[in-house]
Amino acid sequence: MNTGARIRNVINHLEEGFMATALAIMTLLTFIQVVLREFGTGWVWSLEATTYVFAWLVLVGMSYGVRTQSHIAVDIIARKMSPTRRRTMGLAAIILCLLYCGFMFYGASIFVDRLIMLGNNARDIPLPRWLLTGIMPVAFALLAYRFVELGWAISKGEVKGLSAEHHTAVTTNKTPNGDPS
Amino acid sequence: MSALFLVAILFICLAMSVPVAISLGLASISTILLFADQSLLSLSQRFFHTTQIYPLLAVPFFILAATFMTTGGVAKRMIDFANALVGHFRGGLAMAALLACAFFSAVSGSAPATVVAVGSVMIAGMIRSGYSERFAAGVICNAGTLGILIPPSIVMVIYGAVTESSIGNLFIAGMLPGAILTIAMMITIAVIARRQNLPRQPKVSLKEAIHTGLEAFWGLILLVIILGGIYLGIFTPTEAAAVSAVYAFVVAVFIYKDIKLKDVPQVLTESAKTTAMLMFIIANAYLFAFVLTTEQIPQIASEWIVGLGLPPWGFLIVVNILLLVFGNFMEPTSVVLILTPIIFPIATQMGIDPVHLGVMMVLNMQIGLVTPPVGLNLFVTASVAKMPMEEVIRAAIPWLLVLLSVLIIITYVPIVSLIVPSLLGVL
Repeated sequence: MNTGARIRNVINHLEEGFMATALAIMTLLTFIQVVLREFGTGWVWSLEATTYVFAWLVLVGMSYGVRTQSHIAVDIIARKMSPTRRRTMGLAAIILCLLYCGFMFYGASIFVDRLIMLGNNARDIPLPRWLLTGIMPVAFALLAYRFVELGWAISKGEVKGLSAEHHTAVTTNKTPNGDPS
Repeated sequence: MSALFLVAILFICLAMSVPVAISLGLASISTILLFADQSLLSLSQRFFHTTQIYPLLAVPFFILAATFMTTGGVAKRMIDFANALVGHFRGGLAMAALLACAFFSAVSGSAPATVVAVGSVMIAGMIRSGYSERFAAGVICNAGTLGILIPPSIVMVIYGAVTESSIGNLFIAGMLPGAILTIAMMITIAVIARRQNLPRQPKVSLKEAIHTGLEAFWGLILLVIILGGIYLGIFTPTEAAAVSAVYAFVVAVFIYKDIKLKDVPQVLTESAKTTAMLMFIIANAYLFAFVLTTEQIPQIASEWIVGLGLPPWGFLIVVNILLLVFGNFMEPTSVVLILTPIIFPIATQMGIDPVHLGVMMVLNMQIGLVTPPVGLNLFVTASVAKMPMEEVIRAAIPWLLVLLSVLIIITYVPIVSLIVPSLLGVL
């Protein structure tokens, strides 16, 4: 494995590990809150912490979804096209996705910029708000990077479309009596 | 004008196979930039805010609970129990598959998850026992839709979040319609079984039936915990979801011991992936709904519909058709998020109960799940049954009659949705 591939591999694992940990933390925080309430107590910061962890999970998960091609897309038209046309349309779709990333990145950057200017802390967590929301522009940049990667794979013909793998795997399985396994 | 633009961009993007989430987002952003003086700043602020909406936190927890239940052998035990209960009737295996779907719906809030959990075992089982492939796939594909009607239900969580109505009430209201749909499908299977002379399973002894029941007990009791806890005010629906997830973890790892502790990260990653994918759609659909509101589209639509002078039942027909059409092209959560802001105000004005409307919308979404082109259940059934898509569509179509008749009952007999909550005194 060359260095580039190794770094990518590490990033992939980090992504998965981060998402799994985030979900575990959210679940436990909410569960503990229920238990503590039975004893008439609770952590004030728990709810806010949960929502921020949730936000991070979703934002990191967006680009992970592109890499694993798990975003839902309507590909009925694409599947009926010739491979060349399909590739062209796939690339056009990638450009639209990048446009979306660009808009959201821009908006998120201003958002975080404003929060830096305001400089206030979150409601219950003693951390500045810009730090907690700062993941947002990063996440959209990462999302754009994943779309560029996917676009590259489509142009080289390695991948058929944006959510291709899953659905074509379903439709190309033509044995009417099912798999012998 | 702006409304037309918004919808046109959405459909162009969808047709080009741009992911649903981004299609919704891009349509909203471009409309805002061209027609309104809202900034990109406020849109990204709203995007972030979606993850701070308390009821929506239930979504990842219910997904996690269902993943533990699916991988943790709960589904298999439910199938055994269902088989012990109805297997000895003619067509018993199909009835057991249906009943297992209903059981599993009570621990999972999603229809595709139900199809995977039950279908991966039962479709092959039915075919081995001499059922036609088409019949087996049709039963699972349609029975799987119970996942969003029988509580807990992610679609209901989202409807409750958008309309700010009680998710607990919606859950309780879904039970009776869920039972009715199960019975309706059960009768259909019995009739077909008689005509096609489908096989019976050997009758199990009472002792064995009780044994399978006890085995499945830990899964079945979850619904009682969820509804009981919400109803008694011990926890909120969101907390109920987190409790379910922890409970499912304990059952799968320590009681059934089907999952080893080292497999838990895998379950977490899988659930986190589904969560992120779904929330990405939801966050963008919230942007879409926001643009609808700033462009006053709900008001215009409601003035127009009220101006038509439709009676409530006529309005409900329009709503049903609208939901069915949208449900064919998008998955349930997006449809609910997009259409609820338009339909809900008109419905309240006409005196339609929010809970009744919610149950009705869920039933429409169930039909959308099994109709092409974008029926998630069709895709999932095709992949677990290893059948071509076209074949699954043909298998699912006849069952639409059952779903449609139940939809008509739910739509025009509001008491079916409202009687349980009102008997419990929560409505």
